[in-house]
Amino acid sequence: MGLGTRRNLIVLAIIVAVLAIIPFALGFNQYYILLAATSLIFAVFVIAWNIIGGYAGQLDLAPMAYIGVGGIVTAELLKYYGITPWVGMFIGAGASMALAAAVGYPTFRFGIKEVWYALLTASLVVILNNITHLPQVLGSFDHYLPAKTGWYYLIFYRYQNIYYVILGLFVATVLINLLISNSKTGYYLRAIREDELAAEALGIDVRKYKLKALLTYAGILGFTGYLYIVLQGTYSYQTFNSPTSLSIAIMGIVGGLGSIAGAFTSAMFLKTVEEYLRGTIGATIPGLYLLIYGILLIIVGIFKPEGIAALFNWVKKKVGFENRGM
Amino acid sequence: MIEPIVVVSNIIDGLLMGLLYSLVALGLSLIFGLMDIINFAHGDFVMIGAYLAWILAMNFMVDPSVTALITVPLFFVIGLAVYKAVIEPILGAEPLIQIAVTVGLGFVLQNIALAIFHAEPRSYPAPALNFGINVGPITLTAAKLVAAAVSLASLLLIHYMLTRTKFGLAIRATSANRMVAPLMGINVGKVYAVVFGLGIALTALGAALYMSWGQVNPYLGASFSLLSWVIVAMGGLGGVVGVLASGLIVGVLEALGSTFITPSARMAVVYLAFFLLLWFRPRGLFARR
Repeated sequence: MGLGTRRNLIVLAIIVAVLAIIPFALGFNQYYILLAATSLIFAVFVIAWNIIGGYAGQLDLAPMAYIGVGGIVTAELLKYYGITPWVGMFIGAGASMALAAAVGYPTFRFGIKEVWYALLTASLVVILNNITHLPQVLGSFDHYLPAKTGWYYLIFYRYQNIYYVILGLFVATVLINLLISNSKTGYYLRAIREDELAAEALGIDVRKYKLKALLTYAGILGFTGYLYIVLQGTYSYQTFNSPTSLSIAIMGIVGGLGSIAGAFTSAMFLKTVEEYLRGTIGATIPGLYLLIYGILLIIVGIFKPEGIAALFNWVKKKVGFENRGM
Repeated sequence: MIEPIVVVSNIIDGLLMGLLYSLVALGLSLIFGLMDIINFAHGDFVMIGAYLAWILAMNFMVDPSVTALITVPLFFVIGLAVYKAVIEPILGAEPLIQIAVTVGLGFVLQNIALAIFHAEPRSYPAPALNFGINVGPITLTAAKLVAAAVSLASLLLIHYMLTRTKFGLAIRATSANRMVAPLMGINVGKVYAVVFGLGIALTALGAALYMSWGQVNPYLGASFSLLSWVIVAMGGLGGVVGVLASGLIVGVLEALGSTFITPSARMAVVYLAFFLLLWFRPRGLFARR
């Protein structure tokens, strides 16, 4: 168990340093910092998704369910009980993990086809959308966070503070990924992904390790959920949004299963392109970025299942060193 | 208090819808059972078929259900093309990649429809069959009766094809063992392509029937995809009979959810049933294996 090679940590430190000066480079333009923060939070989501999708090979289509549940629990605790998100985010993460356990426990049973997990997670977002839409739950209107600012609420007048909080979470998520990747769990998960039957035959408790991956992933998303709501400004039943949920899985696949660097690159790149397209021609051709996601997904799936990570490996070979785990 | 007669009429309505769902899900079940292809874009073909039926109906001023005469053969050909372009390359790929590619295909279809037709729902303004038939105290929509009857006839026809014809035997042999089937002189590639085409053609039939009273928007496909998958999960690949029974159950569950909770919760009831099913009967209600 460890973080892998020292090179991994150096690369991470360089990336974090670059990310840390972005608000300065953008001249503290609030709109651009909001965009950067949105891209970065999606990088957190996609890197967390890499644990269940990349290492364990389970196509989880419910990121927004965990993000929504965690975030809304945290926000409601703050709103109605005055509990600071610093505590609430842990409770939100716990709620997401409980939900994930309820989904994973029956579907990770041995011999159940992967399709049911994908289907159940896809429908989970729809179910939560329908349930929270009921007037007894959230109803059909937008809910606002308390109109207060400060570190106690994690709501700020300017976006750079939240950007740095997300950057901290980003570092934590990458470190958790590295820890898993270089641990026994990581090797077990990859074995399960390659051949579940053989892994089971070798004595790996497949269900236990899949659940471990799922709970880690759901916990990170539930924890980050509140920050997503802060960036969005509001929450409602529409927080449980299927296309957004799918797009997180798509970014993970396009990045390359099991590759942290690929997940990071594809999230930052695709999210930025998405926001750009939404801002420019989004009104005339709605859903253009989703169309692009769809085409990318087909191309990657058919021709290059290794995703963007294949590009990195090619560069590494050219440069002359091979690197594992990042 | 909900009047019993309302409940009964909603259940009958649910049974009629259930037959239509079975028709759509049958294509998926055949494809999944035969070639282990996980097609998450299945419902999006229903959505495209519904738009096509709507366009044809508007142009020729006929009831959308009649347009099936054109859209079904057309979709068979489209199905063959999609099979060659997208499905054949991912045969035998890991499930995650299969799902990813078909989710991508669904995204493409959905957003092409969104770009062309925008988000507002479309429906045929003068459906010939959208009138009520009174059966005692219950009023049934003629269009739904026709849709249910055509669906049932098609299901029986396919059941006959699977169990009584040589091609049906080839399909069953291939799904039983795809390694041995080619040794018995079965052209597996051809069987795959034709069954995929047939599955897609069935979505066009379902869509044309549905448009006689329903309305289509770009997101119609998502609900049909998930419903079809729930039906396949319940049916447990138990052939036409399993799909038919599961389709009826799903239709009734949906109707009950809509009656006793709210119409917007009807899908949640179906998914909840699906969730419980995976807990207690993971191989389906009518599983043989």
